[in-house]
Amino acid sequence: MSVTLIHPGNESNPQAAPSPARLNSLSGKKIGLLDISKPGGNLFLDRMEQILRERYGVAEVVRARKPTFAKVAPPAVIEQLRSMDAVIEALAD
Amino acid sequence: MVPGYQPGKKALLVFFETDCPTCQLALPYLNALDAGSVQIIGISQDDEKATHNFVQQMGIRYPVQLDHKLTLSRAWDPQSVPTAYLLDTAGKIERTLIGFDKQALNELASSLGQAPIAPASDGAPAWKPGCGSRHLEPHAESGSDSSGAETQQNAPLLRRIAEPASRITVSDAEDAVEFCFRHFGDGLPVVPPTAERVAAMLKACPLAPENVVGRIPPCYGEATVEKIAANAVMAGCQPEMMRILLPLVRAACDERYNAHGVQATTHFAAPLIMINGPVRQELGFWSKQNVFSNVARANSTLGRALQLLLLNLGGARPDGIDMSALGNSGKFSFCIAENEEESPWEPLHVEHGFRRAQSALTLFSAEPPRGVSEHTAQNAETVLRAICHALATVWSYRMCGRHEAVVVLCPEHVKTIHRDGFSKQQVRQFLFENTGIPVRHYASADNGEGTQLVPTYREITIQGELCYQKFHSPESIQIFVAGGTAGKFSAVLGSWSTGPTGSQMVTYPIPDK
Repeated sequence: MSVTLIHPGNESNPQAAPSPARLNSLSGKKIGLLDISKPGGNLFLDRMEQILRERYGVAEVVRARKPTFAKVAPPAVIEQLRSMDAVIEALAD
Repeated sequence: MVPGYQPGKKALLVFFETDCPTCQLALPYLNALDAGSVQIIGISQDDEKATHNFVQQMGIRYPVQLDHKLTLSRAWDPQSVPTAYLLDTAGKIERTLIGFDKQALNELASSLGQAPIAPASDGAPAWKPGCGSRHLEPHAESGSDSSGAETQQNAPLLRRIAEPASRITVSDAEDAVEFCFRHFGDGLPVVPPTAERVAAMLKACPLAPENVVGRIPPCYGEATVEKIAANAVMAGCQPEMMRILLPLVRAACDERYNAHGVQATTHFAAPLIMINGPVRQELGFWSKQNVFSNVARANSTLGRALQLLLLNLGGARPDGIDMSALGNSGKFSFCIAENEEESPWEPLHVEHGFRRAQSALTLFSAEPPRGVSEHTAQNAETVLRAICHALATVWSYRMCGRHEAVVVLCPEHVKTIHRDGFSKQQVRQFLFENTGIPVRHYASADNGEGTQLVPTYREITIQGELCYQKFHSPESIQIFVAGGTAGKFSAVLGSWSTGPTGSQMVTYPIPDK
């Protein structure tokens, strides 16, 4: 005899957003650097910013910071990065 | 006008819903206002039964009116609940309080010539937003005052009613246990959530199956009453456990608890459930020997049900979004009850503002327990110093001021400590003042964890040795009495990141039988 079960899982089926196309070059691009505020993240991103500017000729670097690594980024932080061509997020530790 | 309102006298009209966690938090505070200076009238957006239960369980001492067909709510139009309107003697709105807001509550008290009614450090947050007012819900348009289970078309972003769960047909050729094991399990066999078993759970619950109780982080799956029941069946819960599961899901979805972070961290943290009050006897929660182990069906199945809900609806699977480096055996089940009978002190939930006779659950993001054996101590101080040494290792030995701990004291240690005259607050104060890391342990400049934060640490002298103080305040240490009456073993459980930027301990009332 077949058995009827009540589905115990999440049925909302969220769709993954497709990845944006890779940039052909960093030259002249706007790059966001997101510090999630773990210790040491700023050290990594300072160096990253320097390399992006000096070696790859990016047009603009925008630095954003989450108030805490333990929670999702607040809308204001995401808004800050919305117009970027690419964003690099530093996990650190 | 509002029934019971006396013109010519100041009035406070308080709109609320019975199932709104912020209303449950806020309304008891108003008991402290002097009824001589203001007439307080609660206005419930729910039916008589739900309102009666709310008033009983929250111990509300001012009159409460039912808002039939939400007429008053439409007239006054609060956008969220709780909303309180202070009316002057002419009946004009003098002040409006929205949500739970300690500062606004104290300003209200002050405007009435009274002392503050919301202490800063009573365990509740400074501010907590409320829920949408019932009259603004789409199905309220009909004028019905029932919280029916009709499915909404064009559901808004945060809907309160969802579709029924899908039915899955498992054919003869497949074993239902194996099917669930593969798709919805925790690495152990589960009880298949058949339609009959789930129906029995639903019968024990006052809410309609499609009611959304919470959205469980980090994937925010909708925990409808029906899906909570299905996971509870899988965990082996008996139907009466629905009484605890609804507030438990609310606690797990409370933004202060921050399940989004706890469920995805690389740290050891797992949600520890702590049960207090008469529900321990009513549903068979165990608080004595082996309290952290496989000793009682209630503890084992409730802890497991929460974990299955977090996996199946929250989506933080241990082979995916849950990135814990080593994990925690508490992720099978992590539920203890307080041995209130062996404790001379106020139980945990009473410290957090509930009546002793009110059952309650507390959620804490905990490291695994570390044992403290102390069998030869002759006095309280020696027992407590042994616990201080374990407390010093919370999170990481040289990390100070960022974490919290639960100390589970066994009855034999409690006896010694109490005999020597310590109150619970004095125990906490002693542990706070005597837990520190010797400054000499930071001398090697090795850049190890905790050493970078030294400029923020507080110096303290413990038994002649200069130390950095381990904890931020006495309130960072919570005391819970549990365990068997033989064996002088207590335990210390560290926390995950704490405070408003991490995970905060939350306590929720459990409805009476």
